[in-house]
Amino acid sequence: MRALSAFASAVLLTAAVVPVAAHHSFAAEYDANKPVTLHGSVVRVDWTNPHARFYIEVKEADGSVAQWNLELASPNVLVRQGWTRNSLKIGDEITVSGSAAKDGSKMANARNVTLASGKRVFAGSPAGDPGAAPEAK
Amino acid sequence: MKKLILATAIAATAIAPAIIAQQRGQDPTGANAPNAPTSPAGAGGLTNGRGRGPQAPQGPAPKLADGRPDFSGVWQGGGPVGDLAQGIPKGEEIPLNDAGKKLMASRQSKDDPEANCLPTGVPRQAPYPWRIIQTQTHVFILFEGNIHSYRQIFADGRKHPDDPDPTWYGHSIAHYEGQTLVVDTIGFNDKFWFDFRGHPHSDKLHTIERYTRTNLGSLTVETTIDDPTYYTKPFTVKFTARLRPGEELMEYICQENEQDSKHIQGPAGTP
Repeated sequence: MRALSAFASAVLLTAAVVPVAAHHSFAAEYDANKPVTLHGSVVRVDWTNPHARFYIEVKEADGSVAQWNLELASPNVLVRQGWTRNSLKIGDEITVSGSAAKDGSKMANARNVTLASGKRVFAGSPAGDPGAAPEAK
Repeated sequence: MKKLILATAIAATAIAPAIIAQQRGQDPTGANAPNAPTSPAGAGGLTNGRGRGPQAPQGPAPKLADGRPDFSGVWQGGGPVGDLAQGIPKGEEIPLNDAGKKLMASRQSKDDPEANCLPTGVPRQAPYPWRIIQTQTHVFILFEGNIHSYRQIFADGRKHPDDPDPTWYGHSIAHYEGQTLVVDTIGFNDKFWFDFRGHPHSDKLHTIERYTRTNLGSLTVETTIDDPTYYTKPFTVKFTARLRPGEELMEYICQENEQDSKHIQGPAGTP
């Protein structure tokens, strides 16, 4: 558990460094100072380049449901880190934290994705940070 | 334009397997070995030309049977990603002239060709692996990422054409100087940027790249950039690529699901 916490801290620290393993400037699209944490159900997974994406439905305070578009690294980065296109499935209940889009869209760069079971997926790959290893598959 | 890029990607994909097969048996790194294990974590995209992630393997730089340097294998890094200035000696500055500074200051991140799934040009690198293929007459560089493309470098003694049509990778000719491959390129278009910061160039750009495998796992790429339109004098950037043993290129079609460019805001400048 201690190792896990240390790892999570390391990931958070790493995430504070601007990741540039993408085809675009991270800072031009996402605001590292606009953290967002969302809870919802996965309704779509795009295992596509230049970024893998997943979409979740989030219940808003007023009872309405909003769809968020969450950006991951490219599938190439994720596969090389040991993740697969089945690591996240439609219907999974998740908590995701990351950096929100600068333009106010319901869009964010996903930093931490945690399943209802507590298992984390795509760890160490926010926008393709290649320095960390996946803690689970 | 999209059709053109797709055609280029298809051409590169079609060329690669045949040439790779031709090179098998002379690759001392094992990078071409069938069923080679994929590399551990870190094998996705590096953060810049100098890179992070697993250490490069150690050992002497290999040579081909005829004594030429052997560059075969999958590499990562070797050029600027976020900032061209990372490649110049400490304390020095990129010698932009006034026109260069003005153009750079006017650039918006959303217009970066790379963000729009267009090629990196030279010497920019995407944070994805690439492979060098050497034959007796050509050198090919196959890029995995951004875009799934290739460079064709003539090493058969020919000269540049007098007035080449401007292109993203230009017209490249090469020769060997000892253990260094020297690639001379003209005929660039003025469209690509050197980095996320928007360092510019014109169609007068002339590059000379010097590839030297300093050991088994390291490939130094020194690129002299000469473009009097935007720079006061020629200057040289140096980046080092690292070998990715056991790695293979993967498909990366940037246009497949590109959603970022319409959300990108602000001036170019920050990686």
